[in-house]
Amino acid sequence: MTNPFATRFTRPGVLASRDAGGEPVDVDGMLRRFDGLGGAAVIVGPHGSGKSTLLAHLAAAIERRGGPVARHRVRGWRDVPPLWGTLWRTPPGGVLCVDSWECLRPPARVLVRLAARLRGCRLLVTAHQPVGVPVLARCRPSLPLLHALVAELLGRAEACGGAEAVERAAIGPADIAAAFRNHGGDLRESLYELYDRFEASGQGPGVGGPVLTGMTIVPAAGGKFTNTTPVFLPQAHQTAS
Amino acid sequence: MIGVPAGERGQGVPRVEMQFDLPHRQHEPRGELGVRYRIEGCEGETIRAVEHSVLWYTEGKGEEDLGVHFFQRIADRGLLPPTATSGAFSTPLPQSPLSYEGVIVKVRWCVRVRIFFEGGRDFVSEHVFTLGRIPPGRPPGPQPAAEVRR
Amino acid sequence: MRLPRFFAKKRGHRQTGSREWGVVGDGLFHGTLLAAGLFFGGLLVTGVAAPEWRINHEFRPARGTILAKGLARTTVADPPAAVITNWRPCLLVRYEAQGRLQEAWSQGSAVENTPDREVARRRLDAWALGAEIPCWYDPASPRTVVLRRGYNWWLWLLSLLLPGALVLIGGSGLVRGLRSWGKSEERLAASAGLGELLDPLAQPALAAPGFPAVPTWDDLVNSPGTILRHRLPIESPENWTLVGFGLFALLWNAVVVVLAVGAGLDLLGGRIDWWLFALLVPFLAVGIGGVVLFVRSLVLATAIGPTQLEISDHPLLPGGRYEVLLAQGGTGTFQSLELTLELEEQATFRQGTDTRTEHLVVRRHPVAGFRDVAAPPHSRFEARTVVEIPPDAMHSFTSAHNAVRWRLVVRGTAQKWPAFSRVFPVVVFPPAGEMAPACPAGVAAGERTVAEGSVP
Repeated sequence: MTNPFATRFTRPGVLASRDAGGEPVDVDGMLRRFDGLGGAAVIVGPHGSGKSTLLAHLAAAIERRGGPVARHRVRGWRDVPPLWGTLWRTPPGGVLCVDSWECLRPPARVLVRLAARLRGCRLLVTAHQPVGVPVLARCRPSLPLLHALVAELLGRAEACGGAEAVERAAIGPADIAAAFRNHGGDLRESLYELYDRFEASGQGPGVGGPVLTGMTIVPAAGGKFTNTTPVFLPQAHQTAS
Repeated sequence: MIGVPAGERGQGVPRVEMQFDLPHRQHEPRGELGVRYRIEGCEGETIRAVEHSVLWYTEGKGEEDLGVHFFQRIADRGLLPPTATSGAFSTPLPQSPLSYEGVIVKVRWCVRVRIFFEGGRDFVSEHVFTLGRIPPGRPPGPQPAAEVRR
Repeated sequence: MRLPRFFAKKRGHRQTGSREWGVVGDGLFHGTLLAAGLFFGGLLVTGVAAPEWRINHEFRPARGTILAKGLARTTVADPPAAVITNWRPCLLVRYEAQGRLQEAWSQGSAVENTPDREVARRRLDAWALGAEIPCWYDPASPRTVVLRRGYNWWLWLLSLLLPGALVLIGGSGLVRGLRSWGKSEERLAASAGLGELLDPLAQPALAAPGFPAVPTWDDLVNSPGTILRHRLPIESPENWTLVGFGLFALLWNAVVVVLAVGAGLDLLGGRIDWWLFALLVPFLAVGIGGVVLFVRSLVLATAIGPTQLEISDHPLLPGGRYEVLLAQGGTGTFQSLELTLELEEQATFRQGTDTRTEHLVVRRHPVAGFRDVAAPPHSRFEARTVVEIPPDAMHSFTSAHNAVRWRLVVRGTAQKWPAFSRVFPVVVFPPAGEMAPACPAGVAAGERTVAEGSVP
């Protein structure tokens, strides 16, 4: 049984980036604001609020616009040397997107910013708090946002042949609200809980329901398959006669 | 088409119709996997290469891992659309890992056909099949107690 | 071969960056590291390692007579204004080299240098004028003579460490970049091989040969059992907790002792450092707490005693039946002891700053249960039972971020102590696997054999 809440379908860049009201973010408008902010900007928000997803969409939009983009995820001080390498590979005029900027110590942040400026690159980063650079966006988790994400995931699953499983799972507003409440608004953890609820609904007779048996993965970022923002289309299949 | 950005619709979306030699796509370890496929929807596009792969991947609550069992790249124009719009390949299947429908970890096998176009675009078509006959895993409910000895 | 275009697409005046040129940039970066490593490594080898090797392999022995003693002075500029002077004892030696008498001052290595002139002068006292000593001369330059041979291993290590690291990082990055040039995800994954050697951090645990994604079992069978063939290793957090508490208590209380000694010395000297005392109080409290936790864990571990599990064969096959020996030590009575076979799924996901690992037991098969178990004095409780692997069991699976693991779990409740559980991992092979080793004729499967003449 394909679980629509599997990390394959919820990782950053796969789900649409949405605002607190659940509406798709105006990515182009945000990029225009980024252009006016100078050399660096930050996307701020708590855990599981969609920062990484928004960063992935902005990076894809910059690529569609024709700008060079480099991506880097920081987990700790050990990522400083590879980050330098990524910055070095970012051509002048490009944008370096860094996820989890606050994992760097302040001296490292200052050095990277300085190096980026000298190199002529711009920085677009995510952090839990403002980190001394202009704030481009604040991600705020909300129940309508979670509803919209769930609707997108379930809609995709239904379109790809999982309508029966989706109906059996019967993930409703009460389940979504409970997940949101149980995890204090952390969207990522809420989606994990909905994953568990979907799995639990598959127990009993007929367990092991339909697996998504065929699909086309279409890049939505300008036609080149970059493993981000894929769109899944149902694929008819034939068995041997 | 669902979810294709408006600006992309003019380019068309290729389709890959795939046929497996065995019914229900049920295969056994060390058996032979044979597939035939047909590429459609690429009129007006120039294909520079097609890649076939047979691989397993994980799905669930963890990061996706994958292992490629079979890989083949076709770059001969004579074997590509529009000259040839269909293809076939086969490969013996390994003994592991078997397909597994767990709860937080699932192991799936699939055939992927990746089409590369002139200009840098590429598309992937994925078709899942089953290797082995492992029943789904489910969290255990109340279990009968083991024989108790004193 | 066509050079890739610098820009892959062109839309009016805007252009996209080319992935190929990104790889070129990456290659230049790693190539620079590789070149620097080779250059500095070459310098160090030719300046340090090669001369030392020649002394030990090509210099010829001779008997020398000490004619005079002296100190060689080396001056090194230490920016911005200082100058460092090093002294090395040296001897004027007369010796015969290639049929001719030579007189030359001895050469030495950098380790013989000292900035203290007096120390160097005292070293000269070890030799007496007119004494005969062994020496070695360079056949290519007979006036070059040394009085000592051997290797300075730490100098070799230093010579190779930094340049070696640069060569490794630069070389692996270069190879990785070349291999990934213009390749798709599946092609890269399919061609992993040499890359695995060069990028070990990205690889999961070793797989059993011929069985992709099935973990190896070597670590589980390298300990023979006393009665059955294999003794399974334990995978228990208790031991690590005990070690952790012990290390913490040791290190923390070492700091406390240092602070206390300092405060005590001040007190004896008639001074009271209030800041030091203020710091000492919370440190002491934490130190005492650490000791208490460690002692408690230790008492718990020793009171409950070790748990051992032996099995008649390994790895396991679906549908197979295996003898298991459960042995439990410790004092007192165990209200219950239960052995279960479990299948656990493990999934790890990294997102943002979080690394999230989730475990879930999806199958649990009771194997045996015991009540009111008391180990005989100076011995242990033992019981033999049989574990059956379900015929439809999923085999053990491991990848970089996900795993499906089988394990035997012993759970117990002891009087007056908290409940405990001990985990013994096992590997289950796919049904088509034929890994069961053959048993020698006349010996029951799973029993250990005793070689003739050995003491049982």
